[in-house]
Amino acid sequence: MSDTQPSKPSISRRTLLTGAAAAAGIGALGATSYWLGGVNRVSHSFGKKVIVIGVDGMDPRLCRKLMSAGMMPNMKRMAAAGGFSNLGTSCPPQSPVAWANFINGAGPGSHGIFDFIHRHPHQQCAPFFSAAETIPGEGSIEIGDHQLQLDFWPFNHQPPETVLRRQGVPFWDFLDAQRISSVFYDLPSNYPPSPSEYGFHKCVCGMGTPDMLGSYGTYQFFSEDTPVEGLEEGGGKRSRVKFDGDSARITLVGPENSMLNRPQPVSIDIDVHRDPGSRTVLLEVQGQKIMLNAGEWSHWTKLDFALSTPRPLPTQHASGICRFYLQEAAPNFRLYVTPINVDPSAPAVQLSEPENFISDISNDLGLFYTTGFQEDHKARSNGVFDDDQFRRQATEVLEERLALFEYAVENYDDGLLFFYFSSSDLQSHMFWWDGDEDPNHPTRTSTEAASRYQYVKDLYQRLDGIIGDIYDRYGDKATIYVMSDHGFANFGRQFNVNSWLRDLGYLNPRECTSILTDCDWSRTRAYGMGINGLYLNLKGRERDGIVEPGEEQEKLTRQLIARLKGVRDYNGKQVIRNVYRSSEIYSGNATALAPDLIIGYARGYRASWETCLGELTPDVLLDNTSAWSADHCADALEVPGILCCNKPFTASDPSLVDIAPSILDDFGIATPITMTGRSIFRT
Amino acid sequence: MLANVISWLNSLANATLGLLLELVAWIPAWLSITIIGAVTGVLMLMVFKYTSHQSAIRHTRNQIKANLLGLSMFKDDLRVGLGMQGNLLKFAGRLLALSVVPMLVMIVPTCLVLSQLALWYQARPLVEGEKAIVTVQTSADPEAVQQIALAESPAYRVAKGPVRVPGKQMICWEIEALQPGRHQMQFTFGNDHIDKQLAIGSGLMPVSLVRPSLDWTDTLLHPSESPFGDTSPVQSIAIEYPERASWIYGSHTWLITWFLVSMVAAFAAKPLLNVNL
Repeated sequence: MSDTQPSKPSISRRTLLTGAAAAAGIGALGATSYWLGGVNRVSHSFGKKVIVIGVDGMDPRLCRKLMSAGMMPNMKRMAAAGGFSNLGTSCPPQSPVAWANFINGAGPGSHGIFDFIHRHPHQQCAPFFSAAETIPGEGSIEIGDHQLQLDFWPFNHQPPETVLRRQGVPFWDFLDAQRISSVFYDLPSNYPPSPSEYGFHKCVCGMGTPDMLGSYGTYQFFSEDTPVEGLEEGGGKRSRVKFDGDSARITLVGPENSMLNRPQPVSIDIDVHRDPGSRTVLLEVQGQKIMLNAGEWSHWTKLDFALSTPRPLPTQHASGICRFYLQEAAPNFRLYVTPINVDPSAPAVQLSEPENFISDISNDLGLFYTTGFQEDHKARSNGVFDDDQFRRQATEVLEERLALFEYAVENYDDGLLFFYFSSSDLQSHMFWWDGDEDPNHPTRTSTEAASRYQYVKDLYQRLDGIIGDIYDRYGDKATIYVMSDHGFANFGRQFNVNSWLRDLGYLNPRECTSILTDCDWSRTRAYGMGINGLYLNLKGRERDGIVEPGEEQEKLTRQLIARLKGVRDYNGKQVIRNVYRSSEIYSGNATALAPDLIIGYARGYRASWETCLGELTPDVLLDNTSAWSADHCADALEVPGILCCNKPFTASDPSLVDIAPSILDDFGIATPITMTGRSIFRT
Repeated sequence: MLANVISWLNSLANATLGLLLELVAWIPAWLSITIIGAVTGVLMLMVFKYTSHQSAIRHTRNQIKANLLGLSMFKDDLRVGLGMQGNLLKFAGRLLALSVVPMLVMIVPTCLVLSQLALWYQARPLVEGEKAIVTVQTSADPEAVQQIALAESPAYRVAKGPVRVPGKQMICWEIEALQPGRHQMQFTFGNDHIDKQLAIGSGLMPVSLVRPSLDWTDTLLHPSESPFGDTSPVQSIAIEYPERASWIYGSHTWLITWFLVSMVAAFAAKPLLNVNL
């Protein structure tokens, strides 16, 4: 080797060690900063992360407006990094249908949910909840006042069972099969929870979960001015309170004891004492004391319902929870009690998958709402709450959900995290009114309507803060989707489809008040049930069907579509934007219960309240005077949802059914053949 | 009469056991309950040793062993087998009878120890800002329920109430804890002053749930405060303290922990102290 040749740079042992130490230090620093994830806590795991924030009813028009005005800076920031778009909703755009589309990555033809309410055609329109149904038990042994169901040989009785009616394959099953964990909090359209085959899927049930009375939420209200005989109203029970001096006893109605020959609800007595001096009320509930001043909410209270059994079997117990709200102590005592929720710390029915998931959460967080509908819109609609009281209750729900969200984020490692917020939907139903679209609110002055609409805007800003927090925590370490199932529209006028059918002679007799009680099926060719569904009284399908399948069916269908599209309001406005044939828009194996026609209402209109359960009104078109002054059960094209993602996507018109394939795509799983959607990240 | 005796024993226990418990209160609660369980287990074993007829117990246990051995040896002989089973039953009964005296000796001190431990582990003190309901049960005197008042204090504030319920001779307040420490709540009835302990803080400290009436069970269960006399306008004062949540020393578990630790400690010390059980 020549001396003039430049010598190779030699690396001394010291340099090597120093370099290795520096590299290790930088690596450790990088790992630590990843582990710490900035100011807030983020997941330690290096595994793939996808976070989906489901914001029910978040509207793209309002979002864009607020983003442009700088009032939703976080969503704007995220949209700039990835994208923001309308998200095509389901047809009809009802939450159970829409969320089932999201779950299956396919339309209603795959999951079989077409409305909040379905009907049994073989029982001629007997309604039931579409997402879950309780099948009555069969067989029992009578022992005194009780009946005993023994589900083993030789008795083989069938106990009553609540079944999930959603069909098809939920997308988390594909993650589960690949050993990828997925956790869902408050997932709609999944009660009872579908099981996880490999144990990598966890879920807390959301919308569709009943209260202890088996309803979607029945509040109880006690006051001195309620009629003596009490009052049963949609979603609530009112009872009269009679004070003896300053004490009274009220009775809280609980779940039915189905072990009795004649099932009766189990009730709990509550002693009420009020002090005229301090204007404070003391409630004594099963040894617990609760003191309330007017305008005050109690904490969650546990209720133990003792279900009697045939002797010598021990008494069964079911634990429920409720909160009390004292509206007024005197002179008119008014006490609101929330629907009795299933106790999450000791659930009487399965509310999560795995079963102990919800009680583990409750061990950390305490008690919380478990019913699907948490904001008590029925109390507002029935006048038990005023706007402020409803807003306060809804805010309490949101605070509880935010604590759960924090728990969800703190306990998230990798895989899929889904969290659902209901506030944007139920507060919008009550407070939304877009004055630019229609300045005349049916019940409020323009100023009042604008002030209530501001509540919705404030809520959007609050939710934007939550989105910002999660985006700050994860940035590009996770794919973050913010999505809604549909948007919103004013609901000023209501259309009774059965009254319309009656007026045109499709539904008889003219005096009919409800298709469930006094309809003449031998002279009825079509009827409405649920919010957007219209059914033909088809021979061979419906128990008392008269419309011949084939030519007559086709002729009637054409006639109804044409006439429905031609419906005009008193001011000439088109009421129905479009009518869809289910045979044209649905495909799949689960179309047996689909309505024949789906009515897509124009903005400002919706099916009337009476329509939903088949009642008729003298007028076809009426003002909507309910506190529920906005809705989304219009034409699907009128109320798209939103999609905001921190990862750029290429799809120009994404739809709800595309989210599941996109999530699977993120995890490297090809779109399964059960799905009709496609990944938004692929052209 | 019995309540007065228990009350006197309580004062003794408060002055001795209470003081000893104060000494271990600074260590973590799981450790203190373990130490207390272990010490009481060994002490009970020693009491058992010196109050029982050890040689008779030894003899009876040997008889049981012999009969068990015989049972396995003569398992084919029904008559002998039945006889030995009868003997086993007899000696087991004798063993139980031999334990009666030490049990009787230990029952009172054990009850006193447990009621002292309950003060520390059955509930936790209020933390600052936390609220609790205070219930005063009055005598049948209608004036009492109308006139008893809760005095103000920098340690707490009355958040709600009072709610006076003449039908149940009951008055309730909701108080909010403000200042950590061991305080005395003061109730007034005319010129009379009535006290009730109040515990506020985040550490381990004795919590008296009830200042009881002159009833022997209540007096035994709530040893920290002297019971109200029969003629007192107040019959009891209760504070709804929160439960202590812990798998080891929580409201629903401390007794199980104490029992298990004391048993383990007693069995571990048995060969060392040469005790026949």
